[in-house]
Amino acid sequence: MKHLKPLNNKAQILEQAVAQDRVEEVVAMSAVAGCTATTDPGWEVDAFGGVSSLCQPMEADLYGCSDPCWWPAQVPDMMSTYQDWNAQATNSQEDWRNLGTVFPKDK
Amino acid sequence: MRMTRLRRHTSSLALIAAASLLCTQAQAAETGPSVLQNKCMGCHLPEGNDTYSRISHQRKTPEGWLMSIGRMQTMHGLKISDDDRRTLVKYLADRQGLAPSETEGVRYAMERRLNTVEHFDAKLSETCGRCHSGARVALQRRPAKEWEHLVNFHLGQWPSLEYQAQSRDRDWLPIALNEMVPELAKRFALETPAWADWQKARPKAEVLAGQWSFSGHMLTKGDVRGVMTVGSAEGDGFKVDIKGSYADGTPFQGSGSAILYNGYEWRGNVKVGDTTMRQVFAALDGEMKGRMYEADHDERGLDFTAAKEGKARLLAVQPSFIKAGSETELTLVGSGLSGKPDLGAGIEVTHVLASSANEVRVKARAAVDAAPGVREISQGALKGVNLTVYDKVEEVKVVPAFSIARIGENGGSTPKVQGRFEAEAWGKDAKGEPLRIGYLPAQWSVEPYNERAEEDEDVKFAGQMQDNGIFVPGGAGPNPERRMMTNNAGNLKVIAKLEDGGQQGEGHLIVTVQRWNNPPLP
Repeated sequence: MKHLKPLNNKAQILEQAVAQDRVEEVVAMSAVAGCTATTDPGWEVDAFGGVSSLCQPMEADLYGCSDPCWWPAQVPDMMSTYQDWNAQATNSQEDWRNLGTVFPKDK
Repeated sequence: MRMTRLRRHTSSLALIAAASLLCTQAQAAETGPSVLQNKCMGCHLPEGNDTYSRISHQRKTPEGWLMSIGRMQTMHGLKISDDDRRTLVKYLADRQGLAPSETEGVRYAMERRLNTVEHFDAKLSETCGRCHSGARVALQRRPAKEWEHLVNFHLGQWPSLEYQAQSRDRDWLPIALNEMVPELAKRFALETPAWADWQKARPKAEVLAGQWSFSGHMLTKGDVRGVMTVGSAEGDGFKVDIKGSYADGTPFQGSGSAILYNGYEWRGNVKVGDTTMRQVFAALDGEMKGRMYEADHDERGLDFTAAKEGKARLLAVQPSFIKAGSETELTLVGSGLSGKPDLGAGIEVTHVLASSANEVRVKARAAVDAAPGVREISQGALKGVNLTVYDKVEEVKVVPAFSIARIGENGGSTPKVQGRFEAEAWGKDAKGEPLRIGYLPAQWSVEPYNERAEEDEDVKFAGQMQDNGIFVPGGAGPNPERRMMTNNAGNLKVIAKLEDGGQQGEGHLIVTVQRWNNPPLP
């Protein structure tokens, strides 16, 4: 790290976490069953164990992330599996209420 | 490759045509093998004796098979009725399930205990656990070839997993194929002595019919007890009736049905009041153990243990603690209870208030000088349950210590996922060692977890902590009142202050966004 300088806020927070030797602790704390945290950024929890470095509001760029299946276990991937997931919600910021969950449940 | 596919499709078309001729017959029978043949053989090659490529080389839980079939529906256009899907899940989970010992330590995923912090080794966590639970993997059994297919399938279906696997910094695919696959094939092998033994020893479903005395605990609601009546088996299906109550007197009653998979995996649907609750239990040796939770709110659930009539057993004492120098009412729960209760040194039973085969309710007094610590109590000849005597509370822990709640509703399709908390009191035993006392009443509040949470006003936006320890998250959607219109997410400390004594403890609650892909195993 000594040859790298943090340029933005997020990098500065990470550098602080490393300086305090807290990176491992943060990651372990975040890993509850089925949540993605150690992908950066995660869906539920960010790499610092909080929520302020997530892509939120998630509606702002939702399809930019679901298209390349960034969190396929949490958000339907629209590249391969659920190409029509947003058929009723083409503008995510306006139409997010039309989005549904995807597991085919018994009727 | 092309030729193989073409040949497969041609032959499968012929088979579909043949199958449709036999349609009425198939509908009448609808056995596992016939559904397999009618629904799966279009793509999976028959290997003789009701076995097929891919399918017959894996073992999974009922939830695992349901997810596989669900995947065939969403990815490969499988059209299957709910009835046929149920038949198929049952057939495969029975024939290619897991032995009870193979599910040990990972049942939390089937039980929907979604605040479980997983502890897998670094390699499995890095390869699989970045996106989904490690338990989803640990609840499958495959030979090396099938684990290899799974790696290749992931890469083909979700190519950007290359980034999640940190392919910019390491050559991840050879690691996955050459290191992870052999390890998984060894650790979660298709053929195991445990599975071979279980297939020979698997008990008949009939043994479960009868009365079951149960004890449980639901966070924020308290202890619950009663009797579950299991009707006589029709195949592996049962009628279920529950008659019980919470410690505060609220009735806990309802009826429904259950299916037994693979000789021990009990899955029930019971309507309690207006709420459908799912039962996920392991039924083994006259005992059932697991979790019962609301079908639409799996965060609302109770730990459940039950013992069957005819097998005398002490299940629990409710509550499981008493303060030195105090008198309180205790209820011993079990089956075949008889004889006298003995609560151990320094604890006197002053009155037996009620006594039946399933419940013994007593008034008990703990002497002022009763040594703090754990005592094994007995009822007649039955033992195996502990009662804790404490003198003072030294520490309070919030349970769960770390948890996730999710915003929802506000016109959207997903429910809010609540946080539910209790204050776990700890004292010291006579030797000065930490002593878990149990859950005590507390006052509840939330605070910003750190400076950033304070700056973003997470406490104001993320939701409301109620008096009873239930956190109700905020509404879904962008919030125009927040900076950058962000969601009502938040990073919070959960503070419990004991009603009696005022000692405090704190937990960590992340309030986050909806989960849109929510299969049975997280």
